[in-house]
Amino acid sequence: MKILVIEDEEGLRESIEEYFTEDGNICETAANYNNAMVKINLYRYDCILLDITLPGGNGINILKSIKENNYPDGVLIISAKNSLDDRLEGLNLGADDYLVKPFHLSELKARVMAIIRRKSFNGSNQLIFNEITIDLLAKEVKAGKSTVKLTRKEYALLLYFIANKGKVVSKNAIAEHLWGDGIDMANNFDFIYSHIKNIRKKLMEAGCSDYIQAAYGMGYKFTDL
Amino acid sequence: MKLITKYNQVNVITTIIIMLITGVIYYQAVSLILTYQKDKDLVVEEQEIYEYVNLNNKLPQTFQSNDQQIIFLEAAPGSVKRRFIDTVYFKKREKDSLHKNDHDHNKHPAHKHHGWYEAGRGLITFVTVGDKYYKILIIESKVETEDLIRIIFSITIGVILLLLIVLLLTNRLILNRLWKPFYKTMGELRLFNIADPRDISKSETEIDEFKELNNAVFYMTAKAKHDYKDLKSFTENASHELLTPIAVINSKLDTLIQTENFSDRQSKLLNDLYTAVSRLNRLNQSLLLLVKIENKLLSDQQIIKLGILLEETIIQFEEIFLDKELKLTYSISDKDIYASRYLIEILISNLIGNAIRHNYKGGEVIINLTAESLTIQNTDGDTALTDKIFTRFYKSSGSEGSGLGLTISKQICENVGFSLSYLYKDSYHTFVVKFKG
Repeated sequence: MKILVIEDEEGLRESIEEYFTEDGNICETAANYNNAMVKINLYRYDCILLDITLPGGNGINILKSIKENNYPDGVLIISAKNSLDDRLEGLNLGADDYLVKPFHLSELKARVMAIIRRKSFNGSNQLIFNEITIDLLAKEVKAGKSTVKLTRKEYALLLYFIANKGKVVSKNAIAEHLWGDGIDMANNFDFIYSHIKNIRKKLMEAGCSDYIQAAYGMGYKFTDL
Repeated sequence: MKLITKYNQVNVITTIIIMLITGVIYYQAVSLILTYQKDKDLVVEEQEIYEYVNLNNKLPQTFQSNDQQIIFLEAAPGSVKRRFIDTVYFKKREKDSLHKNDHDHNKHPAHKHHGWYEAGRGLITFVTVGDKYYKILIIESKVETEDLIRIIFSITIGVILLLLIVLLLTNRLILNRLWKPFYKTMGELRLFNIADPRDISKSETEIDEFKELNNAVFYMTAKAKHDYKDLKSFTENASHELLTPIAVINSKLDTLIQTENFSDRQSKLLNDLYTAVSRLNRLNQSLLLLVKIENKLLSDQQIIKLGILLEETIIQFEEIFLDKELKLTYSISDKDIYASRYLIEILISNLIGNAIRHNYKGGEVIINLTAESLTIQNTDGDTALTDKIFTRFYKSSGSEGSGLGLTISKQICENVGFSLSYLYKDSYHTFVVKFKG
C-alpha cells in the first residue's frame, strides 16, 4: 500500500514514516502545503494522512482539492484541533476519519488499515490473515472452519493486532483503544493481561497458532510466525 | 448596618442631645423671666403693705385671694432678712374658711386640710409697726406661670419632634431614592460573572459620586474580563502548543519499542515514560476541555437517553469493575435530557471513573438514576471529603488523576443547568447530579 503523510512537524512525520514503511509499503511525506498539493496531483495513494495546520496553507483546502478532482484516495485527518466543528467539517468534506493528536502510532495504523480496507475490498467485507477469517460486517471470526466466539472488546483487539502485525503495541495504546479516555481510572493495566490471555486461549482452542506474544512487559506483539 | 440606619442613629442622637440642651436652656430662660415678673408683682405687693402701714400705722388685714397669701408674724427685731424664696402655695379647695399657709414652707401638713399645694414664689420681708417688728411672708401661686412654661415648652418639643419625624421620613425616602443607583450597581456586581461575555450595564444617575463608582466598576470589570480572557487564551494556546511535543514524544516512544532487545530495567523505564506521557496528555486534554466548556464552544445539543448512556458506560468499564472486584448495584429509570452528548459522556465517565478509582478492592459502587437526579455512591475511606474537591488541581493523597475531573464535571453540570453536589452518607461517598427544576 501507498501512503502519503502530510505533516509539518518533523519528529512526528519521521515516526509515522518509519512505522508505516515495511515490506511492500511505500510511505511518502510532504512537509508543507505546496509540496503536498504537488504530490496529490501527481500520484495516487491508498491513504493520505493530512494535518490541517500546515505552513503555506490550510489542510482543509488540500482535502477539498482531492474531492473536487474525484481522486479516490482515502483521507485521514490528523489534527490538534479537537472540536466537534472541526471534526464535522472534515468529515462532511469527505475525509474518511479524524484522529486527534496526540495519538499512538498503532492507533493511527489501525485507522489507516480500516480506511484502506473499506476502499479496496469493495464490498467484500472479509479480512483474512492466515487461517483467521474475519467477517467485518457480521463481526464474526473464524479459525479455519470453526467459529471463534469473541466479545466486543476481544474482537476489536484482534482487529487492532492484525492491523499492527509485527509491531509491538504498548499496553497504553491497547487500553486507550478499548476503553477510551476512561482508562485513567485503572492504576495498572493488569486487566489487559487477562484480556489477552482470554483471546489467545480462544484462538488457540479454535486451532490457530499462537500469534500474540508479550513484549518485554511493555506490550504485545502480533506476529506472523 | 445600613448607611441610612447609621445616619439616622447619629442624626437622632445628636438631635435629641441638642434638643435636651436647648430644652433646659429654654426652660431656664422662660422660667427666669417669669420668676422675675412674679418678683416684681411681689415687690408691688410689699410696697402696698408699706404704704398701708405708713398711712394707717397698723398692719393691713391679712387676706387671701385666689393666688396670693400674705402672712404677718411677729419676730425679734432685725431677725428677718429680706429675700425671695421658692416655696409652695396651698390652694384651698373651698373658699369657706380662711387658712393661713404654714409659714414654714418645708412642712406641708396637707392631710389636715382640703386643698393642694402648688408651686409658689414668696417674698420674705419685714415691717415695723410702732414698736413691733413683723415678718411678712407674701406668697403667690406660680401655677399659671408653670402652666405657661409647660405649654410653651410642650409646643416647642412637639414642633421639634414633628420636625424630627418628618426629617427622618423624608431622609429615608430621599436616601432610598438617592442610593438606588448604588444598589443597582451592587446588584450588577453580585451577578457579575467573569466568564460572561456581557458587560456590566451602567445605571443612569445624575449623582457624580455614583457616576464615578459606576465608571470605576465598569472599568474594573472590563479589565477583569479582559485579563481573564487573556489568561484563558493563554491556557488554551499553551495547551495547544503542548499537543505537538506530546504527540512527538508519544510517537517516538511507539517507535522506540519497535527496536528489539530491551532489558527488564529498560522496559520498566519505558513503561514509566508511557504512563507519564499519557498522564501529561490527559491533563492537557482536560485543560483544553475546561476552556472549551467555559467558552461554551460545545453546542451539539440533542436529546440523550441517559439510562442507555449509563448502561453503555457501565458495560464499557465492566473489565475494570471486575479487575477491582467491585460490587456494582444500579437502578436505572428512563430519563431524557437535552444537552451536549459529548459533555454528558464525559460527566458520566468522570463520575463513574472516580467511583472506581477512589475505591478499595472488593468495594462497592451504587448507581441510581431517577427522573430527578443521578446518584453515584462508592465506598472508600470513612471520612467525608472537603468542599475543595471541586477546585482545580485538588487531589486527595495518592490520587493518580489529573485533579481536574470533578472541576470539569462541575463545569459541565453548570453549563447544562444541573447541580452537582457531594455528601458523605452511611459510609458512602455520594455524588448527586440534580436535573433542572
